[in-house]
Amino acid sequence: MPIVKAVTCPVCGSLCDDIELTIENGEIVKVKNGCAMCEAKFLSHRSEHRIRKPLIRKNGELVKTTLKEAVQRAAEILAEANYPVLYGWSSTSCEAISVGIELAEEVGGVIDNTAVVCHGPSLLSVQDVGIPSCTLGQIRHRADLIIYWGCDPWSAHPRHIERYTAFSEGRFEKSAWRGYIAKIRTLIGRKKIQSTVRRLVFKKPPEIKAQLEPTFVPSIAKEGRKLIVIDVRRTKTAEMADFFVRVEPGKDYELLQAFRALIRDQELEVDSVAGVPVGYLEEVADAMVSCDFGALFFGLGLTMSGAKLRNIDAALSLVRDLNMRTKFVIMPMRGHFNVTGANTVFTWQTGYPYAVDFSLGYPRYNPGETSVVDVLLRGESDAALIVASDPVSNFPRKAAEHIAKNPLIYIGPHMDVTAQVADVVIPSAMVGVEASGTAYRMDHVPIPLKKVVDPPRGVLPDEEILRRILTEVRKIKREKAKAEAA
Amino acid sequence: MELLIRNGFVYDPINGVNGEKMDIAVKDGKIVEKVNERRAKKIDATGMTIMPGGIDIHSHIAGGKVNAGRLLRPEDHFKDVEPKTAVTRSGVGYSIPSTFTTGYRYARMGWTTVMDPAMPPLEAKHTHEELSDTPIIDKASYPLLGDWWFVLEYLRDGKIEECARHVAWMIKATKGYAIKLVNPGGLEAWGFGRNVESIDDPVPYFGITPREIIRGLCKVNKLLNLPHTIHVHTNNLGKPGNYVTAIETMRCVEDLAEDGKPAIHITHCQFCAFKGDDWRTFESGAEEIANYVNAHSHVTMDMGQVIFTDTTTMTADGPFQYTLHMLSGNKWTNHDVETETSAGIVPFHYRRKSYVHATQWSIGLELALLIKDPWKILMTTDHPNGGPFIAYPRIVAWLMSRKAREATLKRINPKARSRSLLPSIDRELDFYEIAIVTRAGQAKALGLKNKGHLGVGADADIAIYNFNPETMDPSKKYKAVRRAFKRAAYTIKSGHVVVKDGEVLKHIDGATMWVDVQLREPCEIEVNENMKRRFKEYWTVEFENYPVSEDYLAVSHPIPVKADV
Amino acid sequence: MNVNLYPLKEFKLPIVAECINPDIFQEKSLKEIEALKVWEGNKQKRLGELFKVEAVETSFEAPVITIHGNASRVRRIGVGMKSGEIIIKGDAGMHLGEEMRGGKITVYGNVLGWAGSMMKGGTIEIYGNAGDYLGAPYRGSTEGMKDGKIIVHGNVGREAGAHMRKGIIKIYGSAGQFAGFRMKGGTIYVQKDCESRAGACMVDGTIVVGGHIESVMPTFTIEGLRKRVKIEEGEIVEAPFYLFIGDLTENGHGRLFIAKEPNPHLSHYEKFL
Repeated sequence: MPIVKAVTCPVCGSLCDDIELTIENGEIVKVKNGCAMCEAKFLSHRSEHRIRKPLIRKNGELVKTTLKEAVQRAAEILAEANYPVLYGWSSTSCEAISVGIELAEEVGGVIDNTAVVCHGPSLLSVQDVGIPSCTLGQIRHRADLIIYWGCDPWSAHPRHIERYTAFSEGRFEKSAWRGYIAKIRTLIGRKKIQSTVRRLVFKKPPEIKAQLEPTFVPSIAKEGRKLIVIDVRRTKTAEMADFFVRVEPGKDYELLQAFRALIRDQELEVDSVAGVPVGYLEEVADAMVSCDFGALFFGLGLTMSGAKLRNIDAALSLVRDLNMRTKFVIMPMRGHFNVTGANTVFTWQTGYPYAVDFSLGYPRYNPGETSVVDVLLRGESDAALIVASDPVSNFPRKAAEHIAKNPLIYIGPHMDVTAQVADVVIPSAMVGVEASGTAYRMDHVPIPLKKVVDPPRGVLPDEEILRRILTEVRKIKREKAKAEAA
Repeated sequence: MELLIRNGFVYDPINGVNGEKMDIAVKDGKIVEKVNERRAKKIDATGMTIMPGGIDIHSHIAGGKVNAGRLLRPEDHFKDVEPKTAVTRSGVGYSIPSTFTTGYRYARMGWTTVMDPAMPPLEAKHTHEELSDTPIIDKASYPLLGDWWFVLEYLRDGKIEECARHVAWMIKATKGYAIKLVNPGGLEAWGFGRNVESIDDPVPYFGITPREIIRGLCKVNKLLNLPHTIHVHTNNLGKPGNYVTAIETMRCVEDLAEDGKPAIHITHCQFCAFKGDDWRTFESGAEEIANYVNAHSHVTMDMGQVIFTDTTTMTADGPFQYTLHMLSGNKWTNHDVETETSAGIVPFHYRRKSYVHATQWSIGLELALLIKDPWKILMTTDHPNGGPFIAYPRIVAWLMSRKAREATLKRINPKARSRSLLPSIDRELDFYEIAIVTRAGQAKALGLKNKGHLGVGADADIAIYNFNPETMDPSKKYKAVRRAFKRAAYTIKSGHVVVKDGEVLKHIDGATMWVDVQLREPCEIEVNENMKRRFKEYWTVEFENYPVSEDYLAVSHPIPVKADV
Repeated sequence: MNVNLYPLKEFKLPIVAECINPDIFQEKSLKEIEALKVWEGNKQKRLGELFKVEAVETSFEAPVITIHGNASRVRRIGVGMKSGEIIIKGDAGMHLGEEMRGGKITVYGNVLGWAGSMMKGGTIEIYGNAGDYLGAPYRGSTEGMKDGKIIVHGNVGREAGAHMRKGIIKIYGSAGQFAGFRMKGGTIYVQKDCESRAGACMVDGTIVVGGHIESVMPTFTIEGLRKRVKIEEGEIVEAPFYLFIGDLTENGHGRLFIAKEPNPHLSHYEKFL
């Protein structure tokens, strides 16, 4: 049985590239090194939810058609549109994204990637403050303080901690894995006893957990790598942290600003911020200032709550300010495996990372104005092309309705909700499984995606489908120009 | 396709042609002896100036850092836009143009070859993806190797040949062109927020000094027979008093030079020609640098000219960029790359009325005018650090015309004006010298055999400017020079007429050049095995996923070189 | 000459009409005005294809442009205008009066985001509500409002007056989060309630909140109690105000006045006085 090594996992922004796949009769049968999400993804290429034939809506029904006709219809929709949106792009290759941008430019549309509903707001704050960051290996080699804020890598980026942060082995910093094992053993023991006592003796529901880890002071003062989790709830990652700060929901901004004041040795005139006593905050601020190399990772918990993009403004400012005292870096925990790539390609071709409007013939960017969700909520677009994404199921209802109401083209491997309401459905190969390409890790490191098995017969990669649509659009426009001239 | 350019005034310093009226014949992308006059497409260049296509030895146009700069600055782009045309892609401009716009704007000025000078090896694919999306011009990129752990460790242990083999591997793996050093040792120190203070300051945890790194890589460069010298951004860049470091850096490889050939390229020298103890006592160190360079033959350098405008500074010199952020209060992006290098970005506005900025402007021109041999000092702005490359016509005018310099001098900070050496300099470059500092000298320093000249066999990269050197005096008509260089009458790239009257006629792909270093066979295998073994320890990607395959290059142009190891 | 514009239909697509600007209309004939270029979605049109244009001869020098009807999809009206007047009897779209230098814009309906963005002079008066980023700069820029006056009689969205340097914004309704974010000068007056984080990261300037505010940023320090606050020449609010100074995170000395009476929950600050 052939084994393919060093395969890149097309699931999350960690982009682990050490996956080993066993192939049997053209199918993946075994996945080594990957997390559960990785395994599920690689095995899903055989899924029954795959679309195998192009579909087109006729008399209200989706019916099978030829690829040629589907491409032709898609091109007509886009060529006729006055303000089409082209959305998705975060789960496909940079090569496909590049063609997508050319298509958007050709049809004068708005092109946007899924950053608009995840870390887009973070990017707006990056544009105001800048971002002191690095590649993940730098953190692995050097970081002695790691903070996860508003994210739960244990669940969403399962190998992040072992590959890049607290439990990874670096040149200057060793893995904190052993300490964690010791801790978890005592913790599990204590918990078991506690819960048994509760259930059997007191017969009452589990008590509300204390706001702060009781072992706070000794853990924060410990040698070696420290892990701090700041979140509104005690996540799985928080369980393994040396210290957990529970922030009152929606109050992250206040907490971040308080940290900023504290690391500048300012006095606060309040007793607590965001539900956390100032005394504790001072301890954490001390830990931040006294580390040799700190890293702050933040997730959607920070980007999408309370002060939203300005939470990130404060987090970036905090890390920037910390560089006056020590070395500190910050990084968003990107979700889709190539959302960073989408931002990257968008930026080098158009100058802007997402929400790019080509309707005036050149790139314009102003999230809130040119971002797809806002365009849809205002009901401005008159056609849509969706690539490797399912906006109809995850956008606000009004926006989803507007997509469905207008001509809709869907390109993707699976029959999701967007495909079901589309007018043209073109199945595509799964990028990173059935099609090669490039993706960018959350720290902007480009990593090649491999083609390990063949796609279903007749199914093409996104890049090729888009190229065919583009060629067809140009043909239609040429003919139209000719007709007008005549 | 055949092309015949008739009757222009040709400036081709490599072949000693100085403004002679002659025809140039082009066939299949090369300059040829003659073409079939009847069949060939003819360009009438009567009364025009003809030069080889412009070359830029140092311009940040692609890769992670440049793109992080684009992302950082929507306010830089939104008023300078390039709409799509029937032949060109759309884009945005100003200090960090999008890739398509970069290619077009260079071509419009008659520039046809550009070197991106700072490629983090781990992110080399990104650099190449952008270079492939930069149309018309040929390009190449220099991998950043001065703080790579392998280099630091081998040089510390005195293993020059081992080091050379690994550098060769890296240049091939990244499809690079030359060895780039940025603040050697300082970037590793920046990993923990520190820096090195002089070329003899030890690098923390590595037991090596910048001097040893510079000398070591200079030797490596020779062993590998690379076409260009080591390309050095000095330590202490951007700090008052750093002209001493610059001279020490040049001096430290003096003994490694052979047969009067260059052994080191000091890049954007303006930024390391500062005298004074602090910003208050800051002044020009151009004279001292020029004196050294005039007395030595082992150095080439480029200007890094400052333009009064709003721009974006970006270098691999993380600690320098942080200092600039603290100095200006402007937003700051930093991006350190594991095992290899770092990068920083800070928007910056050079103001005429600022003493320091105006003095920097003066330093760049002083260097270019005080260094007697134009082959040693090449024209750059260190785009976009000193200003965007679209300012080149302005610099050409300053170099050619004392009057142009005086017009700007009048407007700058009075203290800077009174201390500037420019009023005492009468020298005005002629077109022959301009052709050296913008083309021939650049090609020679880079070791580009087929570029920078118009001899038979050269690449047919040609710029034609609408300026008549017979009837017009560039010293007096400097504005006409500026206009001519801003919009080339014709730009010909690989035999294609790509620009006419400053308008892009054709979108073609340029080639990406890279050095295919050929080691003695057994070494390569040994290096591979060694790299594989240590890969997991040093990087967070797999060995197989690290190298840049040729697929990433739209047009791959390998330059084979036989190494002495 | 005065010009009346009547939308010829209900606009569905975004319209970009920078040409609706008294400086551009000046000295143009009706035909020329009708022929001015505008964008409807990705198609370039003539102004006359989207609006009925009506010219009225007057003796005034600076023209008055009046839009009768809903122009909420029409963006960039009056961008960079230097003189004259625009009156909108209905709603207006985004970027109204962006980088305006002089003259007056009056809107009797609501206005979407970025009204008066990067304004340098002149007056904008809005009788309805205004959207987000009133008077704020473009993305990534710190060049906020440099001068001029914006008056909103209704409510405004978030980040009103962000990066403001000079001039005045008066809001007679309520304001969203982050009013005066990273402000460096000028005055923002919110007569009614203000969502939290007013004045976050401000360095200088004045924010006056006459109504309720959920909380003051913990990075502000209380300076004292004031009996009255002057908004501008001829407008003084006579009521007790807490005066906070901040934002400490930016070593700022901006002044944040919060009316005492609607905010009893801030009384604990009095212990520091």
